[in-house]
Amino acid sequence: MSIKHVEMIATPSAPHYVGDGFRVHNFIPSYPRMDMKRMDPFIMLDYNSKFHFPPSERPRGVDVHPHRGFETVTIAYKGRVEHHDSSGGGGVIGEGDVQWMTAASGVLHKEFHESEWSKKGGEFQMVQLWVNLPAKHKMDPPKYQALENSKMTKVPLADGNSWVEVIAGAYQGHQGSASTFSPMHIYNVKMKAGAVADFTLPTNFNTALLVIEGSITINGTEKAQGDQMALFANSGENFSVLADQDAIVLILSGEPLNEPIAAHGPFVMNTREELIAAFTAFNEGKFGYLE
Amino acid sequence: MKHIHFTSFLTNNAEFEKNYIEKLVGQCAHKKFEKDAFLLREGEECKYVFFVEKGLLRQYYLDTAGKEHTIQFAPENWLISDRDALFFKQGAQYFIQAVEDAEVLYIEEDLILQLSRQDAAFHSYNNQLLHNHIRQLQKRIRLLLSATAEERYLDFTATYPDLLMRLPQTMVASYLGITPESLSRVRKGLAEKNQRRIT
Repeated sequence: MSIKHVEMIATPSAPHYVGDGFRVHNFIPSYPRMDMKRMDPFIMLDYNSKFHFPPSERPRGVDVHPHRGFETVTIAYKGRVEHHDSSGGGGVIGEGDVQWMTAASGVLHKEFHESEWSKKGGEFQMVQLWVNLPAKHKMDPPKYQALENSKMTKVPLADGNSWVEVIAGAYQGHQGSASTFSPMHIYNVKMKAGAVADFTLPTNFNTALLVIEGSITINGTEKAQGDQMALFANSGENFSVLADQDAIVLILSGEPLNEPIAAHGPFVMNTREELIAAFTAFNEGKFGYLE
Repeated sequence: MKHIHFTSFLTNNAEFEKNYIEKLVGQCAHKKFEKDAFLLREGEECKYVFFVEKGLLRQYYLDTAGKEHTIQFAPENWLISDRDALFFKQGAQYFIQAVEDAEVLYIEEDLILQLSRQDAAFHSYNNQLLHNHIRQLQKRIRLLLSATAEERYLDFTATYPDLLMRLPQTMVASYLGITPESLSRVRKGLAEKNQRRIT
């Protein structure tokens, strides 16, 4: 049994606003040693740590913007987000839910605090992760997967009060519901104090965890507090997480695509020419129109 | 690593020696601005050409009714100034403002004049930049006099490929000389024509 050791514990950098509704700490790709290549296929992770938004009649959020060439995964812990897109789609992401949007060839969308939630205000906590698409799928048609918490695969841990929610991939043979374009595992681990969870993830998969709530000990030695991210070395397969307090931990592990990346703003392609084509397509209305 | 864009701007566009570029860059002040800050206001003296290292600037004026009209945007790698105020010593007619947090290199007029006198390569390079600028302005006059709103919009996106996402629609409309509602109609019309032709 070979241990997957912690390579680095990352403490969140100063927050910035995305639109006026998301106060985020960026980990991927701006944190040292968490660039797009090191974290491949995860190319961006913004973390809105727990933050109290006061009531607002006008919902805060991010206005219309395009995406092409990757997937956005929104994981809601506190608060509610409403989204709309240029194909007429839309919905609400509630606490515990995950929205997996495959932008692929291109969508226009906007995301705001849900209007009723916004009127009351409250604690808001979310993760937005961008998952890169393999070159051959970058121009696939866009699609959504709304992963409701009530329908998620939940694998109980030994203490009987804790469990692993499988967002994508599998945990101990239990498959999650999201379909992905490359091999990866994404879990929300919801643990009572004292619970232990063991993980076996391939050596070459780029692997990290984010402590959403509480504090944990990894492999019996490394402490990680709330809002910290632990990056694992690409050696060994097994690691354990002990909840020192009641804890929620997001675990990401993906096989690198090892393809060239040409990224600018909301487009992530393989070459500069494809990037220019993405801007042209957006400017000429080929992503559609959204008020 | 300051002035990365300006150094590559000079390296890519003219055959200057490395130590010459370092000397030139070394003589320019580097300033940071927060969004909405002014680099120049109407009536002020203008002594610099601004080179944008990071962020986005715009040049605009107010008409007699107080309405804003945008002359130019300057994202990374662009030069911007009030040429009238700079070279003809008039009070500025324009405002130059940061639309995003910005890092800007201040190139003094005296430095430009001095280098133009001393160095034939710089003189010819500066002339080339001015001719490009005049060509751009002539095209803009032509488009404003006789092009459709859609043609003007497409020219804007060709000139500034990523600015549609970085600017409020009102500023884009003020550059195009149309109302925000007309801009909305143009974009909607293009989407209806092109939406199903994803390339």
